[in-house]
Amino acid sequence: MYRAGRGLTTSAPTPSPPPLAPGDLGAFVRDAAAAGELVVQPRMGMAGPEEMARGVAAVAALPERTVATLTIDSYTRVGDHAAATAALRAGHPLNGFPLVSHGPRTGARVAAAAGRAVPVQVRHGSADPMAIFRTMAAAGLTASEGGPVSYCLPYGRTPLAESVAAWRDSVRFLTEESRRHGRRAHLESFGGCLLGQLCPPSLLVAVSVLECLFFTAHGATSVSLSYAQQTHPGQDAGALAALRKLADEFLPPAVDRHLVLYTYMGVYPKTVPGARLLLRRSAELAVRGGAQRLIVKTETEAHRIPTVHENLTALRIAAEAARTAHGTPAGGGADAEETYTEARALITAVLGLSDDPGTALLKAFDRGLLDVPFCLHPDNRGAVRSTVAPDGRLRWTDLGALPLLTTSRRTLPMTSRQLSGVLGRVAREHDRAAATRPTPDPAPRTAPPPAAPPLRVGFVGMGPRGLSVLERLAARCAEEPPARPVEVFAIDPYEAGAGRIWRTDQSPRFLMNTPAQEVTMFSGPADGGPHRPGAGPTLGEWWAEDDPAGAEPDGYAPRAVYGRYLTYVMARIEETLPPRLTVHRVPARVVCADRDPAADRARAGAGPDGAAGPGGAAGPGGAAGPGGGAGADGGAHRLRLDRGDVLTVDRLVLATGHPLTELDPDQRAWQRFAREHSTPARPVRYVAGGSASEMPLAEIPAGASVGILGMGLTFYDVLAELTLGRGGGFTEGQDGLLYLPSGKEPRILAGSRGGVPLLTRGANQKGPEHRYRARLFTPERMAALRAAGAPLDFERTVLPWLLAEVNLVLLATRIRRAHGPAAAEEFTERGAALLAGRADPRPRLLERLAADYGPRVDPRPLTGLDALARPFAGRRFGSSAEYHKVLTEWLRADLAEARRGNADGPLKAAADVLRDVRQTIRTVVDFGGLTPDSHRWFLAEFGPVAAMVSTGPPQLRSEQFLALLAAGILEPVGPGARFEADPVEGRFAVESAQVENSWAALDVLVDARVPGTDLAADRDPLIRGLMVDGEIRTFTNAAEGAGEFATGGLDCTDSPFHPVRADGSVDTSTHVLGIPSEHTRWFTQVGSGRPGPWGSFTRDADAIAAALLEGGAA
Amino acid sequence: MTPSARPQSLRSPQPSRRVLLTTGSSDAHTWNLVHLQLFLEEHGHSVLNLGPCVPERLLVDTVRMTSPDLVVLSSVNGHGHQDGLRAARALRADDRTRSVPMVIGGLLGISPEGAAARTAELLDAGYDEVYEDGTPLTALLRLLAGLDGACTGRAAA
Repeated sequence: MYRAGRGLTTSAPTPSPPPLAPGDLGAFVRDAAAAGELVVQPRMGMAGPEEMARGVAAVAALPERTVATLTIDSYTRVGDHAAATAALRAGHPLNGFPLVSHGPRTGARVAAAAGRAVPVQVRHGSADPMAIFRTMAAAGLTASEGGPVSYCLPYGRTPLAESVAAWRDSVRFLTEESRRHGRRAHLESFGGCLLGQLCPPSLLVAVSVLECLFFTAHGATSVSLSYAQQTHPGQDAGALAALRKLADEFLPPAVDRHLVLYTYMGVYPKTVPGARLLLRRSAELAVRGGAQRLIVKTETEAHRIPTVHENLTALRIAAEAARTAHGTPAGGGADAEETYTEARALITAVLGLSDDPGTALLKAFDRGLLDVPFCLHPDNRGAVRSTVAPDGRLRWTDLGALPLLTTSRRTLPMTSRQLSGVLGRVAREHDRAAATRPTPDPAPRTAPPPAAPPLRVGFVGMGPRGLSVLERLAARCAEEPPARPVEVFAIDPYEAGAGRIWRTDQSPRFLMNTPAQEVTMFSGPADGGPHRPGAGPTLGEWWAEDDPAGAEPDGYAPRAVYGRYLTYVMARIEETLPPRLTVHRVPARVVCADRDPAADRARAGAGPDGAAGPGGAAGPGGAAGPGGGAGADGGAHRLRLDRGDVLTVDRLVLATGHPLTELDPDQRAWQRFAREHSTPARPVRYVAGGSASEMPLAEIPAGASVGILGMGLTFYDVLAELTLGRGGGFTEGQDGLLYLPSGKEPRILAGSRGGVPLLTRGANQKGPEHRYRARLFTPERMAALRAAGAPLDFERTVLPWLLAEVNLVLLATRIRRAHGPAAAEEFTERGAALLAGRADPRPRLLERLAADYGPRVDPRPLTGLDALARPFAGRRFGSSAEYHKVLTEWLRADLAEARRGNADGPLKAAADVLRDVRQTIRTVVDFGGLTPDSHRWFLAEFGPVAAMVSTGPPQLRSEQFLALLAAGILEPVGPGARFEADPVEGRFAVESAQVENSWAALDVLVDARVPGTDLAADRDPLIRGLMVDGEIRTFTNAAEGAGEFATGGLDCTDSPFHPVRADGSVDTSTHVLGIPSEHTRWFTQVGSGRPGPWGSFTRDADAIAAALLEGGAA
Repeated sequence: MTPSARPQSLRSPQPSRRVLLTTGSSDAHTWNLVHLQLFLEEHGHSVLNLGPCVPERLLVDTVRMTSPDLVVLSSVNGHGHQDGLRAARALRADDRTRSVPMVIGGLLGISPEGAAARTAELLDAGYDEVYEDGTPLTALLRLLAGLDGACTGRAAA
């Protein structure tokens, strides 16, 4: 129920209230508030008196509590009454009612159309309102909107001093003239709107209060304080609370006052549903925030000046929304506190400048103590800037000279694209949110028995992999209603969608490793309709819309941003659920799983249609669910959750992602060593592997010697956190980036097997939908090899073809640079033809061919990938300084290659082949394609080298590496670095066998290696339990007479990926996807799909979704 | 004060032009002007932004003083048609501003009806182009690139 804000409406003068004339705006609003109703009011202005009068009468005739409006045209507003009169005579349209041109008699006649009780307010936008006020007074009109600042700065060129003087005289005139005729003037400050957009609430609130003080100083006894709906409902409600509190604090108690809210004044939603949604939300905000009057907008706002009818519709919708809105005015909260504190600081600073509020306002703008962002008026300083933060709140980005203590971030100036992005944000959001889910088809094509119990699917883990299956499941259900209702339980202790690795609260310095444009979680592109499973934006597209000011959609997104995107995808799935599909979020961890034989029996007894059974109504916490047609699979799955309850499901999707594994013996020893040798004076620490966001890096003291084991992607995260995260910064120097230390960094000694960081990723020159078509390492050739039956030796029979493909691209790119695309194409054809038929595609053959293209082409192919990934193999360095020099040269050369791009740069184009053919490699390797020995070699040798060459970081990271190396913050130790516990020193130590005198003691050892998948060492109680029960097993690659290789990965079938039990049987009621099945399958640590034709990420998800639905039909 | 100048554009293959940005004498809207200024500056052009409610006299005087390569009138309050006609007539009536290229765009009437007639009248009054609301801004860039002659002088702003 709506209630009036306390303290505002009870503060009318009590001793001997002057008799108020009918139609007094303040009294009318007070009465409505006392009755618990929100007053609604249009913006409405027509040129002709008859038309205007009809509009006023129609508004007054509504059953709602309405105030009628005369909105004045812009010629009258700027005082060009001649132009207004001329337009009237010529019959030209005007955008409002030219009150002065029509004169007081006509004005009074039009206003009388409202009847005696309904107030009529004049809204005009004039910096010099005297002519309008004179006409008003003569016409008996008493209520006006405006203010010396709010009707000047946003509206034209009138100097602020002139506006203040004009408003001083005009307010005195209107209040005195009204009083003489037994009426009370009412003045509403437009300060809560100003330019309508991008002004943080504190300034709006402050100007509103200051203008009302100005009105009261010049005789007004009835005022209203305004606020325009902005971009965030919580921030807006807080602003209204702050406005109410400050009005009580600063305005004389005897002054009648109320709060008026304006429905959003910026770029308006284009669609009718979007516009209505925004309007309804403003009415709800008015109730929640304690405003007593609302100025509405119409659904045609974005397109033209609305008709009377459209205004009436808007008024009805708003009043209805206010009636059904619940909640009492919010009093506190962080938003209210922040706006109150800031606005109060602004108000007191201004009032301190002069006893006269008008003079104080002038001085304040002159000194920049008040400063409206993006305002072009010559008297506005224009030093402040603001933006819409990713959370939707308005924020200062540059405080200019505002007397605020908030720490201001100096940010890059906004671009035009970012500006239109933030300006249109509210419109887009509401258009999209209101574009309702495609209206559900009332009659499903194949109507199943209505009582069919739902198929219950438990997703254990709702990170990217789980989400990908759910997205396809929802898309399939939307295409064709499932035979049986499907009920999904999305179980994840972290936020559904993002999961653990992509948590939205991690450091913004942790970047993704794939360009934002190449990442999507929707299985089809956005199509202009509402974002939904099968049709939605890529990460890059979403990011640019979500955070227009901060996004770099062409670059690499922070992992937290991807996390927010994933939660958005999850929310869209939930918001657009097709009929017969439901999704429950279960924020819990599964601690163990077993089968429910009772449920199986119940299912067996339920009859062939599977429709009956008492378990059919059991909720998620019920002891037994309905049978799920699991049949031979031993009954429903009972999942015990860490919060205590049990969830029974028919199908299980295991997508548990990155494991938390037990430390290996070395790691355990290091941990013990650190514990034993650490003293408060000199702490010794071992930080175990995993995700950098979970490492206690903040506890590492400045100046400590930190060893980092591993120089892969986690290393870069740790590096960023220990430098940028400590207040350091990078700047452009003459010779690349320069690091500006904060002094809080530790000394960072990094070491790895190769002694080099990952190779830099080539600048992307391929579109997001680019797909490479292999010529030699073709899916067909690999399928043929595999079809031969016997497990393969990767190094002997597969790698030569992969290397041939890499060399074909390397040499063709060199030839293209020298002789153009035609020559390159010719070489590719000749090379492919030459090698295709051979048993052994030796690189030497391509060299001979490339030599035909003259001296400008280096014809030498790569003899192996090691040459790229292990440049310092066997090389010795006389000192750390020498090694650093050589390393710098090597990385600079690599960066130069990267800058040439992944299409035009020969080396990076060749390296990109490894990414492009990853799926073909999988077809050879997965599910026991290699001999045990070869499989071991593949994982130990080929995998890391391929990762070195083809999964590297963006150029920025390598540039930062060089800058930190040059600054002496980062000291790579050398190739073959060995980390050890040094009992003599009582600390850790590191040394490279290939670099003289490289030994160094370490206070902290950070293990930045990503733990491999090893189910036997998995700490997850669910995985452990399933292993013990024999429900899952690890994949052991064994061949007749060729030994075995225990991989540690979860053994599963090919698509749709059922786990294999310890006894070799297959659990067809469970699917497993992603990292747990690593080793059985290769390179599963992929957390996103790609736009364009489906890759294996989306295909695998879809296969599981299809299998779930088929199972439901059975 | 106009918003701070943009960092130098990364791509300005076209000759840099000097643009005078203005609006109707009764039009108080400025977001369109702020956005256009940023956009043109990002594409290597220099912009003098006259801000809201520009009287014809101020427009003519400024064109006389600065001789811009192009006058862009952007209006969104529904009076763009009438204000635009007056601005064009004022510029075309003065010997020294008669030949300056000028274009107009935005929401030029209070409703979409009569758009064709409005466009014809504006073209007749001397505009080189009339851009309907929703025209991509690249049209403006193309026009700037196709203007005759080299840059007429130093930056206006």
